[in-house]
Amino acid sequence: MSAPGKTEPTEAIARARTGDADAWGVLYREYASAIFRFCRRALPTREDAEDATMDIFAKLMRDNRLLQYDQSRSFTAWLYKVAANHCWDVLRRRKTRQDKETDDLENVPLEHPDPNQLDKLIEQRTSEEVRRALDKLGARARMALVMRYYSDMSYDEIADALGVRRAFVGVVLLRARHELRQALGQSGALAAGGTS
Amino acid sequence: MQHLDEMTCLMYIERQLDRARAQEVSAHTQDCAACRTLLRALERESRLLTRAMLEEEDALPARLAQFQERARRSMQWIWTVAFGLAATGVYALYSGYIEPWQRELEQAGFGGSNLLSLLIFQGAFWKGWQSMITLLEVLALVTLAGFAVAFFRKRVRRGSALALMLAGFCAALLLQPASAMASETRRGDSVVVGPDETIKGDIFLFGERVRVDGTVDGDVFVFGHDVNVNGHVKGDVFGFAQQLRVNGQVDGNVRASTNTLTISGTVAKNVLTLDEAVNLESSGKIGGSLTIFVENLNLDGTLDKDLLIFAKHLALNGKINGAIKMKGDTLTINSSAQVAGPISFEGNKEPEVSPQAKLVSPVDFHKMEHKPRYMEGHYYVWQVIWLAAFVLFGLVLFQLMPRFAADAVASAERYGASFGLGVLVFFGVPIAAIIACVTVVGLFVGLASFFVWYAALYFAQIIVGALVGQWLMGRTRETWPLIGRMAVGLIIVRLATVIPGVGGWIKFGVILWGLGAISLALYDRFQPTLAANTPSAPYTSPLPPNTTVGGMQPA
Repeated sequence: MSAPGKTEPTEAIARARTGDADAWGVLYREYASAIFRFCRRALPTREDAEDATMDIFAKLMRDNRLLQYDQSRSFTAWLYKVAANHCWDVLRRRKTRQDKETDDLENVPLEHPDPNQLDKLIEQRTSEEVRRALDKLGARARMALVMRYYSDMSYDEIADALGVRRAFVGVVLLRARHELRQALGQSGALAAGGTS
Repeated sequence: MQHLDEMTCLMYIERQLDRARAQEVSAHTQDCAACRTLLRALERESRLLTRAMLEEEDALPARLAQFQERARRSMQWIWTVAFGLAATGVYALYSGYIEPWQRELEQAGFGGSNLLSLLIFQGAFWKGWQSMITLLEVLALVTLAGFAVAFFRKRVRRGSALALMLAGFCAALLLQPASAMASETRRGDSVVVGPDETIKGDIFLFGERVRVDGTVDGDVFVFGHDVNVNGHVKGDVFGFAQQLRVNGQVDGNVRASTNTLTISGTVAKNVLTLDEAVNLESSGKIGGSLTIFVENLNLDGTLDKDLLIFAKHLALNGKINGAIKMKGDTLTINSSAQVAGPISFEGNKEPEVSPQAKLVSPVDFHKMEHKPRYMEGHYYVWQVIWLAAFVLFGLVLFQLMPRFAADAVASAERYGASFGLGVLVFFGVPIAAIIACVTVVGLFVGLASFFVWYAALYFAQIIVGALVGQWLMGRTRETWPLIGRMAVGLIIVRLATVIPGVGGWIKFGVILWGLGAISLALYDRFQPTLAANTPSAPYTSPLPPNTTVGGMQPA
């Protein structure tokens, strides 16, 4: 994956837009790993992630969707957006562990956790534990966290991918964090902290 | 003290609050340790999430690594289809046009040679093996130039550099024939090569009245009103004249476009001509074949090989040692006629054959059918093949010159300018090309211009097709969507051009329109633009609402 600041392969992108198979090969080598990891985070199983990665690139090539890409913007960001849309479509089609609808999101209680306990929880948990906890989250919560904290997508892009109003993106993210904390086994204690 | 809720804290660290609210949060956290701790915890939570997700734990599975090759193969079918279509088009063209012609020519007894050898080896273009070496050199040079263009096209992105290279190549080509052409030119009202003169090399003659009474040890290129070749020409005669009379001896071929051509002398090789009337007088003799597009041919002399004729009327009194293949209106074979080969005649009226005429076999007559073309099944098959050929041609052009093609399609929307310029280019370029050809140095430029103009007539229809497609499917400047629109539009344009009665006029209008659009796009391209190389400003996305980018941050 192109690291932040690394130059994107603009020539390969331009050639791939004209259907050059070799250029597609370059793009695939460059971006397949990152898209696979994104899919791995967003989808329940490793097989799902592999299928999704192949489907994403196959669709890009078959429909030449690169033509929709605005070359003045970041290719990496655009590719993540495509991947996010694809993964969310996969999850929606399966209707597995569907989150609550948007209407419910408006009524989510905005509890004040105990800051010290939250701080302690964050301090104690490892990356590995967080990844395992992520696997236990609902589809929308996990998608939201992956889009925001893995691929650094904007609130507008997340809203677009998830099909919610932009104003609800913050609510989705906060709710996802609560789910994550619960999965980490500390949510109850944190929620009980209340306000001082 | 009322603490901040978690959502507000999250929005603050995510920089989603407006500036005023962010300042309030910042001020509050100065005094509230609990909220400050919460902000810090949320930030650490964000970082933990990012770190957990970014840490590489999964290498790319082997299945995905193999997918790349699969994907590459999945793209190959497009090229297979494209090449398949191209091969089908070439085969259809060969079997539909070239092969029947070749067969007919062979049946007509053109020495069993194929069309290419007829045009080259029996024609005026054949100058012996020495010139063949030159031709090979030119072909080698063109091939080399093609490779060079392909090589530099990948590396030299600037169109101007490529244009400079092409200009250099053209200049080299121009210099090549210019130095090789040791020739003489004479102009005037009355131009004469005197009976005692011997011209070494080719001669170009321009005049109202032209006479060649002497000897020319080369080719004669003659442009005039009244032309007489009474002397001895050891090469070929190229004539463009109102009246052309060949009374003397020509050792090579005669190629002419005249009102009236009269041959009373001897032409040792072949005659290829386009005229209103041709007379091969009783003293006239042609040693090779006679290929002729004419209204009336009176053949009283001797023709040693075959006669291929498209004419209104042929009157035969002389002797033909080969075969006759004629397509026309009437054929009259008089009593003194002798024909040593088979006679095939496709015409409107039964041939009139004198019983005294000496023919090796009876005339094979086929009455010409005047069924409208659109009543015939194969007409539609050919229309489909032509449509496929147009789409393929357009596909190649749009791929080779995507930006220019898009510019030309955009130019076609300037209707008035396109039509006006189209008329000018349609009539002006051939005239200019002919004038350029007349001057020796401009021969290459003239011929090249003519070929480009001719190709542009086809490209014009593709451009208009693409515009019609855009009308139906919406505008685009992307290559593949534009190609799709071009294919759809071309179907409509081609359908419109086959409407009986008005189809021809529609086609003419489409050609004018498209030709003008191409010319406009070319004109726009070569206009100097001050900011042509100025890099565009980097894109900056608009800030989302309620953003405090650059605002205060938590302590």
